[in-house]
Amino acid sequence: MSNSSQNPKKKLNGQQVALRVLLYLFIFVVVIVTLYPYFVMFTSAAKSRAEIYSINGTLLPKQWLLSNFVDIWKKAPIARYMLNSVVVAGGSTAIAILCGIPAAYALSRMKFKGQKVFLGIVIVSQMFAPVVLLEGIYRVMMNFNLSDSVVGLIFINAAFNQAFAVWLLRGTFLSISSEMEQAAKIDGCNKLQSMIKVLLPMAAPGIVTSLIFVFINAWNEYTVALTLVSTDLNKPITVGINIFNGYNMIEWQYLFAASIFATIPVVILFMCIEKHLVGGLTSGGVKG
Amino acid sequence: MKSTNTSASSQNKKRAFPKVEPYLWLLPSIALMAIFVLYPIIVVFKTSFSEVSRSGLIRGYAGFENFKDVLSDPTFAMVLKNTVVWTVVVVGLSTLFGIILGLVLDNKFKGRKFARAVIVFPWATSLIIQASVWKFIINTDYGTLNTLLMRLGIISKAINWTPSPGAYFAWECWVGIFVTVPFVTFCVLSGLQSIDESYYEAATVDGATYWQKLFNITIPLLKNSLTVSTVLNIIYVFNSFPIIWTITKGDPASRTDTLVTYLYKLAFYKSRSGQAAAVSVIGFLILLACAGVYMVLTLRGEED
Repeated sequence: MSNSSQNPKKKLNGQQVALRVLLYLFIFVVVIVTLYPYFVMFTSAAKSRAEIYSINGTLLPKQWLLSNFVDIWKKAPIARYMLNSVVVAGGSTAIAILCGIPAAYALSRMKFKGQKVFLGIVIVSQMFAPVVLLEGIYRVMMNFNLSDSVVGLIFINAAFNQAFAVWLLRGTFLSISSEMEQAAKIDGCNKLQSMIKVLLPMAAPGIVTSLIFVFINAWNEYTVALTLVSTDLNKPITVGINIFNGYNMIEWQYLFAASIFATIPVVILFMCIEKHLVGGLTSGGVKG
Repeated sequence: MKSTNTSASSQNKKRAFPKVEPYLWLLPSIALMAIFVLYPIIVVFKTSFSEVSRSGLIRGYAGFENFKDVLSDPTFAMVLKNTVVWTVVVVGLSTLFGIILGLVLDNKFKGRKFARAVIVFPWATSLIIQASVWKFIINTDYGTLNTLLMRLGIISKAINWTPSPGAYFAWECWVGIFVTVPFVTFCVLSGLQSIDESYYEAATVDGATYWQKLFNITIPLLKNSLTVSTVLNIIYVFNSFPIIWTITKGDPASRTDTLVTYLYKLAFYKSRSGQAAAVSVIGFLILLACAGVYMVLTLRGEED
């Protein structure tokens, strides 16, 4: 902060050098601690079961069993779990955004009675993770015959991310001036056309951020899937990996190998939106 | 949209249409939330006031019976206390540490981009995976924390990291903090970006020290970002299920249960749906109070 405004070429005095050293030390510790679980996950995924359960534990595998990363696809329907996760995350993202865009459009471009009330409901409903409502969700899904299905998971994830999507999209739309859309209207476009042709392309970065955020949330969702889905082949990867978590023994090496496959795509996606997301979070929530 | 009001015959419709129009745009969103969020809420409330058979059939109105059963069980008081400790400790320490980390990362230094990228990791990783790794790390018999410390020569024989339910609970809090800090850090970073440099320049001219600038400029101007992150975190952490479920399942004897793991067991292990719904309603009301505070703060921010 105070340092950032200083000219970096200026000579540092003793105290500033000490502060620099402290800063690097602090960052070093934070980075090491943060990466430690990933180091454990990766190295353990390449060990044999005997080595994992050995009393004389090792830091690195004695012999890198990279075959574990191949074997898991044969030991369990990992490919099917991954596919289910892609379908659930993709489907719920599509629904959440397709429902969210018109709502955000109305909230940012029109004035109507109950606008504040709706916004309030959107904010409040953001507060309820499905886990508190599991009992209700379970019964509702039974009524619709959607329990134990991928389709059911798609709708639940879409609905529980809807508020957040509307909120982020509204913030994006508000930050874009409506002048261009008005010009388009004069040229004979109706509202829908002006939204699709003018607003949405300009709002693309914000829309992509919302898309990725909902996708990640749905991809990482665990509790509802655990409760609703009992058929093995309908499980998403977060629940599916428990197949290596047996009653008697946990096959850690396979659990971690599968976890790495489940984690990599999300971490990459997250790094893409990291900058936009937080801007959207705080400016969407509170101006300033 | 316009095509619906072009029919010349309906002058009234034309005038009425603009009034209805915004609601039509909202309709898909409202429908989605009504069916899959609102409807379950109603069902939970209805179930909590019903007598439910062990097979899950609703038999009839039961008044406050389920609530009485839940509240008279001493386990519930302990679970509620655990939930409060869990939420306060995780959110409090995450916020404190997130502020410090955000302030440090806002400095210009070599490797800043790398450090920021690394800190995103725990945020992006599924909680169930993160919790599994930590469960493995802290295992007494073959955990890698003991291996690491022994190889580094810090300890000579394996330490039992989880001698008591309280120790397990502390580790669960640690994992909660570990995954929550990144969110706070990034909220702080985005808040810092929006602060006008000229404040600091003016303060420097006036001879303010680093700490004076921190407490008189930075922290007050971060208030908005921190309000958002704190309230959202209270709700996320309160609702967090996978960490505790993975590491201890709330055992032994509910000593490490929070409200959500407790109600999950009531509903899906013990087949006491009515009581589970009552716990849901209690949790729901607590969250509603938090949400109310959040809404007031947020909408007030909107009007500024």
